[in-house]
Amino acid sequence: MNNLPKSWKKETLPHKFCPGCGQALALKILGYAIDELGIQNQAVYGTDIGCSLLSWNMFDVDTIQTHHGRATPTMVGFKHAKPEAVAIAFMGDGGGYAIGAQHLINACLRDDKITVILINNANYAMTGGQTAPTTLIDEITTTAPAGRKIEDFGRPIHGPEMLKTIAADGAYIARCASNDFEETLKYIKKALQNQIDGRGFSFVEVLSMCPVNWKKNAQGSLDFIEEMKKVYPLGEIKVPEETK
Amino acid sequence: MKKILIAGEGGQGAQSVAEILARAANEQGKETTYIPNFGVEQRGGVSLAFLQIDDKPIGYPKFDQADIVVAMCNRAIEQIKKFINDNTLLIYDSSFIDDDKIKTLRPLVKKYLNLPAKAIAQKGLSLKVANIIFLGALSHELGDLTAGEIRIAMNNQFKSHPEFQELNEEAFDEGLKYAKERPDQEFIGSKPSEIQKIFEDDVKSWERFPEYCKGCGLCIISCPQKAITFSDDLNFLGTNLPEVDLKKCLACEACQKICPDGAIKITKKSS
Repeated sequence: MNNLPKSWKKETLPHKFCPGCGQALALKILGYAIDELGIQNQAVYGTDIGCSLLSWNMFDVDTIQTHHGRATPTMVGFKHAKPEAVAIAFMGDGGGYAIGAQHLINACLRDDKITVILINNANYAMTGGQTAPTTLIDEITTTAPAGRKIEDFGRPIHGPEMLKTIAADGAYIARCASNDFEETLKYIKKALQNQIDGRGFSFVEVLSMCPVNWKKNAQGSLDFIEEMKKVYPLGEIKVPEETK
Repeated sequence: MKKILIAGEGGQGAQSVAEILARAANEQGKETTYIPNFGVEQRGGVSLAFLQIDDKPIGYPKFDQADIVVAMCNRAIEQIKKFINDNTLLIYDSSFIDDDKIKTLRPLVKKYLNLPAKAIAQKGLSLKVANIIFLGALSHELGDLTAGEIRIAMNNQFKSHPEFQELNEEAFDEGLKYAKERPDQEFIGSKPSEIQKIFEDDVKSWERFPEYCKGCGLCIISCPQKAITFSDDLNFLGTNLPEVDLKKCLACEACQKICPDGAIKITKKSS
């Protein structure tokens, strides 16, 4: 048999993500993190609209699908109703930073004890690669055929850095890239552990390949991830004092 | 009046073929409708194209019985069943659709053309033009439209990529030729069990899963030993599967870790 995460549902494979998708890779790593922490029966998984909804039947854990960044408040509600659950909100940059930014910011401000994992692929992938808040300057998208210009679209959003300014002491905030298996697994596990220990809000942004909408092959998509790393530096952006 | 249904995996080019035919028919003053039908995925998932060409105005773009059904992939077989009647011509990829899958259609199908499009595409052309081979075969079956006009529409469709024009023309001719000659008329598909799944030596085994692999190529790039290359075998989407050179492979698991689909498994054997 295959070596997939135990928390994945075997019956729903092959999953619906495109060839070479970094989001599928992040979900595989999240699956391993759930396995290693042994929280498959406690975990509840909330997925958002966009490509992230393609994972609605991916995990063999309780799953809720919501729209427009509301995976965050839905998971907050779930956590209040059942504090022993491990609530994981999974969304894309469109849901988390654009239409649902209010939910993310307020969850961080209230220091809700949930884990948010946000995929940053620098565009709106499911609808065909439009400009997102995370699109790099001069990156070509379908709504910016001459490249993203600051005067039209503003500057790219730095979510983790923004949340750090309002985060409480117990919050854990990090950024990683999905093609780095070890680091992504480490950060996601730390973020989940932060919630399990009841320290505070935890947030991981995962830079992720989108070869179809970037119109690149596998090598080209990894090269573009390197470009993204220059704009969005990786690492742990905020770690709770007691775990340092 | 021709009602044509083209079914393939998203990304195989079923919609492009339908669009080319619709534009060619429209250029000749025919009444034409074309409507695509697919899921939320950008790639993968069954993608249907409903195409109608007529001399009289057309009332509704969808239909429930087709004159020609084109099947490009395994997962389409279930969905095309209900469109087949006694007068339907089925064109299917006999080099890619599994034998046991296609046999389930045998009681329904009276007329068929078994076009080994993937095999023709792999022989000297490129897998990317397998859909154009189907277009060539369709152009033979559509009496009202001439092959020349379809060819012009095809070149217009891909005019932003002039480097592929020659390849497309060749693929078109191959499909047209096959449909004219009809050399092989047995109702059979391919045998997937022939694909080698496990590569192993004394210390390790490297297993690939054609039912999960999507052919993205991340394993090939991430291999520090450059031990992985594309093979001629096909995965479920009809793209190339990777294969490994065991002499170079160190079983470092880099490919297993980067695979988004969980399609590679490495096992180290304890001596």
